[in-house]
Amino acid sequence: MNKNQIDELIAKYNEGLADPSEMLQLEHMIESGDVELTHLRELSKFDENIDKFGEPMASKSLDNRFYDMLSRETSKAKQFDFSSWFNFQSWGPKLVVTMVLVVVGFIGGTVLQKNTGGGEVKELAQEVSGLKEMIMISMLEKESATDRLKAVSLSEEIQGPSKKVTEALFKTLNADPSVNVRLAALDALHNYAKSPAVREGLVRSIAQQDSPLVQVALAELMVSMQEKSSVNELKKILAQRSTPKEVKQRIEESIKVLI
Amino acid sequence: MAKVRDGDPEKLGLLYERYKRPLLGFFVGLVRDKELGEDLVQNTFMRILKYKHLFRGDGDFRTWMFHIARNVKNDHFRKNKVAHEKVENWENKIRDEGNLMLDWQHDDDQRMLAIAMDKLPQDKREILLLSKYQEKRYKEIGEILGCTEGTVKVKVFRALQDLKAIYHQVEKMM
Repeated sequence: MNKNQIDELIAKYNEGLADPSEMLQLEHMIESGDVELTHLRELSKFDENIDKFGEPMASKSLDNRFYDMLSRETSKAKQFDFSSWFNFQSWGPKLVVTMVLVVVGFIGGTVLQKNTGGGEVKELAQEVSGLKEMIMISMLEKESATDRLKAVSLSEEIQGPSKKVTEALFKTLNADPSVNVRLAALDALHNYAKSPAVREGLVRSIAQQDSPLVQVALAELMVSMQEKSSVNELKKILAQRSTPKEVKQRIEESIKVLI
Repeated sequence: MAKVRDGDPEKLGLLYERYKRPLLGFFVGLVRDKELGEDLVQNTFMRILKYKHLFRGDGDFRTWMFHIARNVKNDHFRKNKVAHEKVENWENKIRDEGNLMLDWQHDDDQRMLAIAMDKLPQDKREILLLSKYQEKRYKEIGEILGCTEGTVKVKVFRALQDLKAIYHQVEKMM
C-alpha cells in the first residue's frame, strides 16, 4: 500500500465509512507501524481523555502500612549480615587496602630498623597520608552513602590535608545527594577553617545549598567562625522564596550576631 | 531502584511517593474497589522489596513495577477466583453505585467515559490503563504483556474501538 492509499484508508476510517475488510487492513497497518493510533482522529481523542482521567488519592492508612513495612525492612538490612563476609565484591576492596597498608607498614618497619633517621620517618608518614588521601577520595565516589560517610570521617585522620582533600570535601558539601554526607563534610571542613581558602569556600557554598539543615548548619558555622563576609550570601538564602520560615528565622538570628 | 537493590531499602520510599497514585489508579480501574486497590499497591511494593535482586537495571523501573503489579493482580484473582464479569446487560446497571471512577471525574464527558470504561471487559480496560500509565510506550507494554509492540497497538486499537461504541450508547441513554 502506498502513502496515498494509506491516507485514503485513514480518511475513510475517520469518516466512519470503513468496511470490515478495511478495518482488518487498518489493523495490519497499525501492527506494522504504517499507521499510528494518533492518526485516527476520534480514537486518539478517547485516548487523550483517558489520560486526563482523575485518579484516586492514596489513604493515610496505605502510607502508614507502606512505611511500617519499609522500616521493618530497613532495620533487617542494618542487622549483621554474615553472608556479606563471603561476598568478594564487598570485602575485596577492603582486603586490597589492608594489604597495601601492611606492605607499607612492613617497608616502613624495615627502613626504621635500618635507619632511625627522621628523614625516612617523615617520608613514610607522607606516604601513609597520601595513601589515606587516595582511599578517601576513591571512597567519596562510592554509591553507598555509608561509604561516603566513612570517607569523610577518614579525612579527619589526615594531618594537614592537601588541596585535593579539601577540594573533594567541598565537592561533597556542594553536590552530594545525601544531606547526612553533606553535613559530615561540613563538620570535616570546619576543622580546617583556619585556612583562608577553606573559609572562602565555605562562604561560597552557602548559596549552593538547597537543604534547610545544611543551610542552618552553615549559618551557625559562620557565627562560630565570626565570618562577617558571609552576610551577603546568607541574605541570598533569605531572599529565596523556597526557604522555609524556620530557616529564615535562624539565618536572621545568625546575621544579627555577625553584624 | 538500583540503590534499593544494593542495600539501601529506604530509597524505596521515594519510588513509593512517585508511583503510588498511578499504581492505585491502575488497580482501582481494574478491580473497582479502592480498599482492595490499596492492598494490591502494598503487595506490589512488598514484592518489589522481596525480588529487588532481580531488578537488572537495564530497563526502567516503571515497566518492571507494572510487570510485578500485573502478577500481583493475577495472583489475587487466581486466589479469590473472581469471575470475569459479563458485559452483557450493563445498560441496566449504568447508574451502579459501584463505579468508583465516577467520583474522580470533573465533567460530564469524563463521567460518561468513566462509565464506558467500567463496562469494558477487564483485559481491554487493562490495556488502556497500561497505555495511560506507561505513557503510550507500547514497546515497554509489550515487555509487560509478553508480546510485540505491534500487537500492543492492535490491542489498544480494539479496546478504544469498543470503548467508543459503548461511549456512544451511554451518550444516547443520558
